[in-house]
Amino acid sequence: MRQNHLRAEAGRTALAILAGVGLVLSGCTGRIGDDGSAGSEFPTEPPPGVDPYSPEVEPPPFHPAPLRMRRLLGWQYQNAIHDLLGAAAASAITVPADAAVNGFDAIGASQLAISPQAVEQFEAASYAAVEAGLADPVRHQALVPCTPSAPDDAGCLATVVRTFGHRAWRRPLTDEEVQTYVSVGQMAGAAYGVFDKGVEFALAGLLQSPNFLYLPEVGEPDPENPSRLRLTSLEMGARLAFFLTGTLPDDELLAAAESGALTSADAVRAQALRLVDKPEARDALNRFFDEAFRLRELDKVAKDPETFPEFTPALAKSMQQETRLLIDDVVWDRDADFRDVFDATYTFVDLALAQLYGIDGAPGSGFGRVELDPNGLRGGFLGHAAFLSLMAHPRTTSPTHRGKFILERLLCANVPAPPPNVNTSLEDASTETMTMRERLTAHVANPSCASCHKMVDSIGFGFENFDAIGQLQFTDKGKPVDASATFGDHGSFTGALQLGRMLRDDPRVPSCLVRNLFRMASGHVDTYGEVAPLKAAEQSFIANGYRLKSLLVELAASDAFRFASAQEVQP
Amino acid sequence: MTFRLSRRTVLKGAGALVALPTLEAMLNSHGTAYAEGGAFPQRLLTWFFGNGVVLPMWTPSATGANYAFSPALSPLQNVKDYVNVVSGCNVKTPDLRGHHNGCGAMMSGYPFIPIPANGANYASKFGGPSIDQVAAGIIGTTTTFPSLQLAVSKRATTGEGPTLQYISHKGPDAPLPPEMNPAKLYQKLFGNFVEPSNPTDPRDALRLNVLDAVKDDANRLIKRLGAADRQRLDQHLTAISELRQQISALPPPVTSACAAPKTPVTQTNQDQGGAEPMEAVHRAFADLIALAWACDLTRVVSVQFSGSVADTAYPMIGIPDNEHDLSHDPSRKDDINRCVTFCVQNFAYLCERLKATPEGPGNLLDNSVLMMTTDVAEGWVHSIQDYPVVIAGRGGGVLKYPGIHYRSPNGRNTSDILLTVLRAAGTGVSSVGGAEGLSTTVISELMA
Repeated sequence: MRQNHLRAEAGRTALAILAGVGLVLSGCTGRIGDDGSAGSEFPTEPPPGVDPYSPEVEPPPFHPAPLRMRRLLGWQYQNAIHDLLGAAAASAITVPADAAVNGFDAIGASQLAISPQAVEQFEAASYAAVEAGLADPVRHQALVPCTPSAPDDAGCLATVVRTFGHRAWRRPLTDEEVQTYVSVGQMAGAAYGVFDKGVEFALAGLLQSPNFLYLPEVGEPDPENPSRLRLTSLEMGARLAFFLTGTLPDDELLAAAESGALTSADAVRAQALRLVDKPEARDALNRFFDEAFRLRELDKVAKDPETFPEFTPALAKSMQQETRLLIDDVVWDRDADFRDVFDATYTFVDLALAQLYGIDGAPGSGFGRVELDPNGLRGGFLGHAAFLSLMAHPRTTSPTHRGKFILERLLCANVPAPPPNVNTSLEDASTETMTMRERLTAHVANPSCASCHKMVDSIGFGFENFDAIGQLQFTDKGKPVDASATFGDHGSFTGALQLGRMLRDDPRVPSCLVRNLFRMASGHVDTYGEVAPLKAAEQSFIANGYRLKSLLVELAASDAFRFASAQEVQP
Repeated sequence: MTFRLSRRTVLKGAGALVALPTLEAMLNSHGTAYAEGGAFPQRLLTWFFGNGVVLPMWTPSATGANYAFSPALSPLQNVKDYVNVVSGCNVKTPDLRGHHNGCGAMMSGYPFIPIPANGANYASKFGGPSIDQVAAGIIGTTTTFPSLQLAVSKRATTGEGPTLQYISHKGPDAPLPPEMNPAKLYQKLFGNFVEPSNPTDPRDALRLNVLDAVKDDANRLIKRLGAADRQRLDQHLTAISELRQQISALPPPVTSACAAPKTPVTQTNQDQGGAEPMEAVHRAFADLIALAWACDLTRVVSVQFSGSVADTAYPMIGIPDNEHDLSHDPSRKDDINRCVTFCVQNFAYLCERLKATPEGPGNLLDNSVLMMTTDVAEGWVHSIQDYPVVIAGRGGGVLKYPGIHYRSPNGRNTSDILLTVLRAAGTGVSSVGGAEGLSTTVISELMA
């Protein structure tokens, strides 16, 4: 409550400032325009101390973010290859590693230049994939629907290039583009005296084209507000497909895109409703949580084999599976309130995890649902071994990592970067007999470290009953564990379940989820100008009972996802 | 594997067959330095480990010639004449953020660029090219590979942006991800030079032809894009050119030092029993670097042994804790120093390997310059003063030999070290870095 009170106060300040038309804001880079139209300058950040996502704060008028061409992520590329050339092709390739910026690969993919190594890997992958695809007689028939009259038959090659290119590039090819790859194919067909060789090189070329590897978006003036751009229908089709299904548009979506329909929110919503029921949507959302909850890092997490001999690659996989199953259960199987993920008093375990947790009820093989003690320490995702192991050191817990994850990933709070040159004259007291809590408390005696560590550790301490691989622990260095903690204005808590229940009631949780999904979907950190449509999506998420499927659909149809401004002109 | 096959023959054959008019132009003569009887090529390598050192255990107590190594540097004993230790220099770029500042300053000489977080993870990127990429643009233009990026530990941090994750950057938005698997590096370096079953296979010429088509395509697209996207697609086009150069490269002339490994390199970087095989991976890399240099396949390499703020652990020396966490516990300075010494040991293996590879009357270490450094001076305070740096190699005779311990009496700019290293690599540049990190002054004491 106190928190809401503070937020309300901040909100009033913001409203007062925003009411002053044309007022120059100190600390902001721009000026508020009279009508919010492009051409005027916009504030790029809220007034100091104001959380624009707070329910009480009126957001500024919508100002879309600049377009940015995005490279397909590695898994999206692999899915697209699967759709175009089959499972054998998808497993025949190695994809370049993605690089995250601001914690998301999609942001890296729209900011960073492709590396020479990636270009090399995409080249190798294109040949491996096409070769594997053509080796399957049924698929060969589909890829080459004509009978060539010669190894360099231009007509048949044109059919092959036009058909394959249309799917791969998510749009019809121009004649010039077709000709480019027909020439490639003719040369190869002639050199080998084999028509299929021509097909191989032509298709490998289409797959190396930036038209396949990126989502090139230039937009078109929005007829209702020509000062901004809207995504073209074709661009929208590709955006939607990669966001919701993590792959190329299917036939129906591509047809809708080509009909020009996808410039309307209703048409986008209709397609989105259909797409979220496809099996690919589950996989795409899994990828989101793998990244947002860092589950994919479990396979390279380091634990000390002497301290934790039970921590094996197989156990790490089980940990990842547990979290996936809970999310699947809430989002897809029950289409329920997403906040259940944070305070569920049940989970899904196999025998290895049941043993780790010290609970009964796991099936003889595979995973099964088990009930947890509703008054216990464990409950919800934050009680999962996945989170507890990821946010810990090889031997010891890390209240710092655990607290930072919650603030940064679940609440979208700005956690400051580590301080420069810390001036310390502190004694280097031995930490050998200190509990983790004692060690960190000593650390906080240093003023340079104190403010941030207090902010994150005060939350992380609440997990001290869970060791570095998620087992319950009641002693640390031979002393009883103190796992009392405070979560801002929510008050004190101990254990994952109590914090999970506080998160259920924290308005920052749904807005942060909306923002994180949007970051992955759009490839940029949400801007101040986008707060209004994102808050609208959040409102409908809440009105729909916090059902994530409904949020996916509303985000896809959101103005923030459908409109853009021109790319900034760089010197 | 054999180098006997001439790639020129293959490409010419294919060229005649499919009549590619541009083919001849691409066949740049490889290894001109030898052909023209000129000097041996100069090379540059940067070698990075994360999270700093314990300065009293790192810095030699004596300065000048005939100094004795500190405990941390003692593994370098066998190449001591080739080692110049530099201390007492300070990072001059604005100290805005622990770890980030040192990474940017020590690898590039530019201040890092913070990327606004707005409720997402904080992150940053490089402010300019890293010195290996500056060198690659000058001394790497005629070799098969302009430069190589390698990393030993897989546990670099991925959450704080390119500055901490990578050590090589072509520019602010162009980090170069490293190869982490020796078996794959082997394939990359020598896979092209395996004798094909059919010497008249037109495959490589046709691959070049495909790349040309992709370039045409990219050039059509680029006209429609905004400035930032244009820049990125330009870099894509440059990468395609580099790939062309690789495909059309001639096999290296076989010499006593440049001969293909008798058996393919199969070492991977898979964990074994929960531990990274760091030593084995680094050895395999070091052997391949020596070979790549002897064959003049590249002249520029960067090696990230462990990353800044990395989760790298050292169970192989009995320290299972992660390096970054350990570096924040000043009560465990001995353990920190043991990790640092382990890093230096590995660096020493590379130096010894280069010294053992003959080139003309000398060896590869005579004709190269290696810089070893880290992202903070001391981890638990995130300090950027009295930066720990080792320079190895004679730089083709440019650097002081036998080496000395140079200690700056007045905290001079660490970028002066970078400029000295770039000069020793034969780049001829007159400045490095930017803003507060700019240097136009070499450390004359280190020059021969």
